Amino acid sequence: MRLPPQPGERLDRSRALVFSFRGKPVHAYGGDTIGSALFAAGQRVFSRSFKYHRPRGLLCCSGSCPNCMMTVDGTPNVRVCVEPVRPGAVVEPQNVLGSLERDLLAVTDKIGRPFTPVGFYYRTMIRPRRFWPLYEKFLRNVAGLGRVDKHRGRTARFDTEHRRVDVLVIGGGRSGRRAAADAAARGELVLLVDENAGAAEPGEGYEVVAPGRALGIYEGGLVPVDAGSVLLRVRAAQIVVATGAVEQPLVFPGNDLVGVMLPDAARRLIRDFSLKPGDRAVVVAADDKALTILDDLERAGVEVAATIDLREHDPSELSAEGRGGRLRAVTVDGARHECDLLIASGSPQPAYSLLAQAGARIEYDAGRGVFLPATLPPGVEAVGRVTGEVGAIAPARACYGGEGFVCICEDVAVKDLKRALAEGFDSIELAKRYTTVTMGPCQGRLCHLPSIRLYAHEQGTDEAAIGTTTARPPWAPVTLGLLAGRTHEPAKRTALHHRHEELGATIMWTGAWRRPHSYGDAPAEAQNVHEAVGVIDVSTLGKLLVAGPDAAAFLERLYPNRYGDLKQGRVRYGVLSTDAGRIMDDGTIARLGEDRFYVTTTSTGAEAVVGWFEWWNAVWRMDVEIVDLTGAVAAVNVAGPRARDLLGRLTSTDVSNEGFRYLDARHGHVAGVPCLMLRIGFVGELGYELHFPSLHGEYLWDTLLERGADLGVRPFGLEAQRILRLEKQHIIVGQDTDSESNALDANMPWIVKFDKEDFVGKWALEHARERGPRELLVGFEMANGTVPPEGGQVVRSGRPSGRVTSSRWSRELGRAIGLVWLPPELAQEDASFEIRVDGRLEPAHVRLRPFFDPEGEKLRA
Amino acid sequence: MSELAFLSPGEARAADGFAPAISSPLARALEGARGIRDLSLAGKLEVRGPDVEWLAADLDVIRITPARALVVCAPEECVELRRSLPGLVVDVTGALAGIVLEGAGLMRRLTDLDLSTLPAAGKFADVPALVSETEGSFRIFFPQEYGHSVIEAVRDAQDGLA
Repeated sequence: MRLPPQPGERLDRSRALVFSFRGKPVHAYGGDTIGSALFAAGQRVFSRSFKYHRPRGLLCCSGSCPNCMMTVDGTPNVRVCVEPVRPGAVVEPQNVLGSLERDLLAVTDKIGRPFTPVGFYYRTMIRPRRFWPLYEKFLRNVAGLGRVDKHRGRTARFDTEHRRVDVLVIGGGRSGRRAAADAAARGELVLLVDENAGAAEPGEGYEVVAPGRALGIYEGGLVPVDAGSVLLRVRAAQIVVATGAVEQPLVFPGNDLVGVMLPDAARRLIRDFSLKPGDRAVVVAADDKALTILDDLERAGVEVAATIDLREHDPSELSAEGRGGRLRAVTVDGARHECDLLIASGSPQPAYSLLAQAGARIEYDAGRGVFLPATLPPGVEAVGRVTGEVGAIAPARACYGGEGFVCICEDVAVKDLKRALAEGFDSIELAKRYTTVTMGPCQGRLCHLPSIRLYAHEQGTDEAAIGTTTARPPWAPVTLGLLAGRTHEPAKRTALHHRHEELGATIMWTGAWRRPHSYGDAPAEAQNVHEAVGVIDVSTLGKLLVAGPDAAAFLERLYPNRYGDLKQGRVRYGVLSTDAGRIMDDGTIARLGEDRFYVTTTSTGAEAVVGWFEWWNAVWRMDVEIVDLTGAVAAVNVAGPRARDLLGRLTSTDVSNEGFRYLDARHGHVAGVPCLMLRIGFVGELGYELHFPSLHGEYLWDTLLERGADLGVRPFGLEAQRILRLEKQHIIVGQDTDSESNALDANMPWIVKFDKEDFVGKWALEHARERGPRELLVGFEMANGTVPPEGGQVVRSGRPSGRVTSSRWSRELGRAIGLVWLPPELAQEDASFEIRVDGRLEPAHVRLRPFFDPEGEKLRA
Repeated sequence: MSELAFLSPGEARAADGFAPAISSPLARALEGARGIRDLSLAGKLEVRGPDVEWLAADLDVIRITPARALVVCAPEECVELRRSLPGLVVDVTGALAGIVLEGAGLMRRLTDLDLSTLPAAGKFADVPALVSETEGSFRIFFPQEYGHSVIEAVRDAQDGLA
């Protein structure tokens, strides 16, 4: 039933909308919220409470309290009092077994209350311990809020948007709008957000986002704003908080009955939605603004049975009684008034939470009985009622009698807080954690002040001594989907990526890179490198240009190996050490010129190495430029006995063994593409690594495959490369080494030049040398053909004494081989040990020299 | 061939039956896309050294630091320009993919950079980028290896605004 059109009502009576509630159609007007339409349709019970399943109705009608939470179109915990009606919306009650009117779980309220005091689950349900999962499941089913639809995340879309403004105004009331208009008039870029959809009228020269809830104020003026399906990350030079004040419920027996409302709720029902909130009312209030409700009630034709202005008279008794959870009568000072509406509020509390988060100091005003923001941090301003401009008010009483709810979100009653205090939780911060008061959906808007007041009353002190709890974001509940936003995990792809896909490669992650694991048959790919020629995309290698007069000295100081004597056009292997002498990365260094070096790193270590180089360059202040060329250059390794034939077809560069020796670097055109060619041998066969502009990636790859078809060229993936390098006992940093490994233990003592004056990690490596190795990285082969697992345990005399880091079956060798960390005394050629494989112990033998081409004859031929 | 020629697509030669082709790292990701212009094939040079501030005014320069700048040029001018500019000049044509997008609304979904103080370096679609603006058109350069990822993010953001 609607009142005749009210002045300024939000309704568009020419627009009729229909949505469904519990499967039945509900009619609404344009401008209605789901809550107002339901109220108009006669619905009074909107929810069942969190713990006791008590019937609850509209209390604040402004999106603060939990009383009107329903599931709308699958989204739980929607406050329907502020949720605009969407035609066809499907609305269902939540946390109910049965119906809102008859909820079977209300038995917890009727007979369960003596057994379920605050924190009962910490005490009564902990034994026997193994039953806790059952208890937990039960409790979660009978208490709480709505249920999350686990599949909804896939259909709902949430975006994040970054905004920068000069002034952000939070709150679209009179003061907020005035502040926004003033700033806009000064020519500033202004954004105003208000959590109420009704505030959406555009401003004069400023933008309005409504509904838009500011969730917190973070460092640097960052304010996340929940605008429904978009999270606005607003950065503002100036933040104006105009969040107003929140009418505070009074604590008295029956204060949660359906029909007990805050003044604003009744006002909104009458003014905005032309609804009559009740037939006969009692009004209890403590400030002038709240008392203006009397005019509204009169206009709406609500009979007023009694009015109590708490500033003039604080009754000795205030209690409400009801039937079926709905208000029937209110007793004040012994006088019983039959009524179906009780409008009750204490003094309005400024909504200072966002200010407190930003760093404002909050002080208690004993004369008026509210907490006020005292000093504000720079860049933050407060205007309007949030500053305490709420007119003449008087402190409310902590409670009228020993009954009533302090926190309606979590069903925390007066008794519960008293009990917490009796159990020793005497600080308000502890009480908050123990009783969960202020931790529910209202985030303390309606219960923070009453709980502090009750604590002060019970401890015989004042509110200032109790203090406030820490204000933390989010100020209002927010969906996880909104916080997560769109998740893009940036993957790196080489210039050849699509070629690999077209060739049917299995793509795997290595760090942030997407790389071909194999093209279908890794052992055959490896074999083709031994027998013909293979090509592998190694564009993922980190590639750095180190240039400048001090380039050679810089590398000398950074690497344990020597580079000052590296000749132009030559390549040398290098291992990077940390200050602690541990292996950080490895790669090759080619000298391109007197003061120019081309450094390659591992694929996953590139970014760390770039950072490491830049760090030391900054520390040493040497005349060196470091340029990351990783993405600029594509790289393909052409390897196998026919690699020279293939390369010779594509370049005029002399590729003969005399003209282009092992570990030479040559510039030249390959198939017309400018290339840096490095003759190196990670995979053991004759090989050339071609480095060239990435834009030519697909062209050169295609050309290699076309022109080498008759030579038997085939691409090979990471898995084949792993087999091939293992045959040479070449290590993979991070696979065969860990954060404890140093170059000496990894059996590469030749790479550490102790006679150099200094290098990063020298001191630590000298100590390691004196101490001697604790374990050594060596090759092994299995006595039978079993391939042990990587990470497999070495067992000697029944005790663990080492671990396998790499293992593969080599088709070329017809053996199972690998790398293993062993105690030094065991790391001797041909020494026997055992590896645990599926619970059995399998025999293995140490092999100190590469399995394949131990003398490097093939590499150098 | 000079020491750093292997970085320059402009050094490629069509001879001996070879016709070196180039392809944009964004080519496939942009199939069917709208409102995204591909700049990946533009010439790009990174210039380092104290002379950066004296770079000629008629060049298309994005200054990164006082001693570091990105010069954007026509692909065919790149090799010549690399030889003539002062300081250490590295051809990064292949290193950086580039796109042009229209509209601040789309940009706000993809970057937290302050669009009123461009050009600037920062994150775009979660990858490091250089962003500049001319009259509502935004030019974005980023590591080409992220090309596919970035275009996915941009197209997704376009879907979100549609």
